[in-house]
Amino acid sequence: MSTKRISKELRDIERDPPTSCSAGPVGDDLYHWQASIMGPPDSPYAGGVFFLSIHFPTDYPFKPPKIAFTTKIYHPNINANGNICLDILKDQWSPALTLSKVLLSICSLLTDANPDDPLVPEIAHIYKTDRPKYETTAREWTKKYAV
Amino acid sequence: MENQISDASDFTHSRIPKLSQLDTLLRCHICKDFLKVPVLTPCGHTFCSLCIREYISVQAKCPLCLTELRESMLRSEFLVSEIVESYKVVRDDLLDILKQRKESPESDPDSSIIEVGSDPEDSLIVNDNQSDDTSDDIKILQSGKPISLKRIYTDITSSSLRTAPRSKYFKTNIPMKRSSTASRIDSILKKPVELVPCPICEKYFPVKELERTHLDECLTLQSLDNKLTPLTKTAEKDEVVSKGSTVIPPNKSLLSRSLWRMKPREEEGEKEEKVSFVDKYINSTTDIEHQRLPKLDFPSMTITQIKQKLSNLGLSTTGTKQNMMARYNYYEILWNSNFCDSLNPVNVSELKRQLLNWEASRKVHNGTNLSTSIGNLMTLRGTHKQNDYKKLLDNFKTDKFNRKEWCILFRKQFRRLIKDAKKGQTSRTLNADHIQEFDIEEQLTDPDLSNDLFDKLDKTPQNPQNP
Repeated sequence: MSTKRISKELRDIERDPPTSCSAGPVGDDLYHWQASIMGPPDSPYAGGVFFLSIHFPTDYPFKPPKIAFTTKIYHPNINANGNICLDILKDQWSPALTLSKVLLSICSLLTDANPDDPLVPEIAHIYKTDRPKYETTAREWTKKYAV
Repeated sequence: MENQISDASDFTHSRIPKLSQLDTLLRCHICKDFLKVPVLTPCGHTFCSLCIREYISVQAKCPLCLTELRESMLRSEFLVSEIVESYKVVRDDLLDILKQRKESPESDPDSSIIEVGSDPEDSLIVNDNQSDDTSDDIKILQSGKPISLKRIYTDITSSSLRTAPRSKYFKTNIPMKRSSTASRIDSILKKPVELVPCPICEKYFPVKELERTHLDECLTLQSLDNKLTPLTKTAEKDEVVSKGSTVIPPNKSLLSRSLWRMKPREEEGEKEEKVSFVDKYINSTTDIEHQRLPKLDFPSMTITQIKQKLSNLGLSTTGTKQNMMARYNYYEILWNSNFCDSLNPVNVSELKRQLLNWEASRKVHNGTNLSTSIGNLMTLRGTHKQNDYKKLLDNFKTDKFNRKEWCILFRKQFRRLIKDAKKGQTSRTLNADHIQEFDIEEQLTDPDLSNDLFDKLDKTPQNPQNP
């Protein structure tokens, strides 16, 4: 089932691509995709382009896809290895979700971080206590790694 | 049709874009395909029986509203099942007709009469060749407006002319009680007398004679002989209908019929027609012969007990304990879905075949782990890079991951992804063609993907922008 469903999603994403995102398989492997997200304009990541690597498990969509940033990013919910702390990629996953929806959620995570459930506590702390400092650093990192 | 990827967006560029909603509603939210043996959850959501049972074995909640869900709560939905099945039968034709119109409105000889449809119901009535739905007939006739009738006829005419070979006949469906209306329409849309063949004895008669006297005689003779041809059998289902049944060539005197049905194009279509989804629904009952298979408490069972269980069911007892558990669990899902939910349960040997297929596909998946499939890709890129890629991938989730190398390796694809994302940001274009931008030579190895690719290359112009 997974192959068919992933093919469907590919077609879906081609026909109706989510705003500011793009995604597609790497070469001939339907289970390994790459995606790009444009930094949302109303966030310190504006102007940056962030890459993600996506792995669909063989029991997809019963299990969530594994998604990680390959571009370095300064964010309370994304760690140095690019792992993303997002509920719908873990316990809140539902097979009714699609990659397109997940990418949009990641976009909104960039706009609104969730410092109460951080993956990098230090960044979350700065985010909560010194917002301008967080924004400056995030902008610097974006310039350095994502432009 | 099963293997093709169909999508609700197929209707987006047709005459009735709103049909894409219907198309979406008839799909399962897990496999995104048309509902197959649909079941209803207590929270009011519908999924394929197999899909939801398999998901519940992973996570016991509804995929749509995340409320708690157990297998015993699922109820089969025979009506939805038959709605989906009857929709699937007409979908291709529907799409054909709706697309054809949009593309060439000029070529249609009757286009002056036909308002480009905004009402999906008309088309649905016309295309529903499975049902003898009299309420629809009455609705149309009662409106008493020849124009609207004409509109429907022309819809049918053009579609049938296009879809059916000339030699094929079309069956009409005129109940006796409506003959006055029919003749009224005859007089409105004056037609010369034509000879049409009788569907039973295949001799030619004037339309009126055939309808009024000959068919009855012929049918009576037939039923006396008790040798019914397939065509009359269908008509016999409804006595009123059978009296008026007649067959006329597709390009003649179509407008003199009050309501008629398109005869499926091919022989196989004829077979299909005999299976009425309505009858199937009305006569639906659950299978009481086969008991539900229970869940097994594997942790408390010894290997011998598990083997015993499997062999009682006639299943293979090979493999590790894990393998046997997975085998039983999947067989239980197949069994319960088939015998508890399906309107047309298959037999046990077919279930076992499905189980074998499933096990085989699992083996393939486990066998082709990342490195092999990526290996293929890398062979195409040049073997010297293969090791780089594997090494990079191994460190993917660790601090040792080399971002720079990764970016260099996929530079080309990244550039394209950026371009696409930018394009999406500035203007939400209708045609996303990011796949087109991937390395074409890599895609060629996969027949499905490459076909897709060529389709797109044909349709979409090359993007003039460059990053």
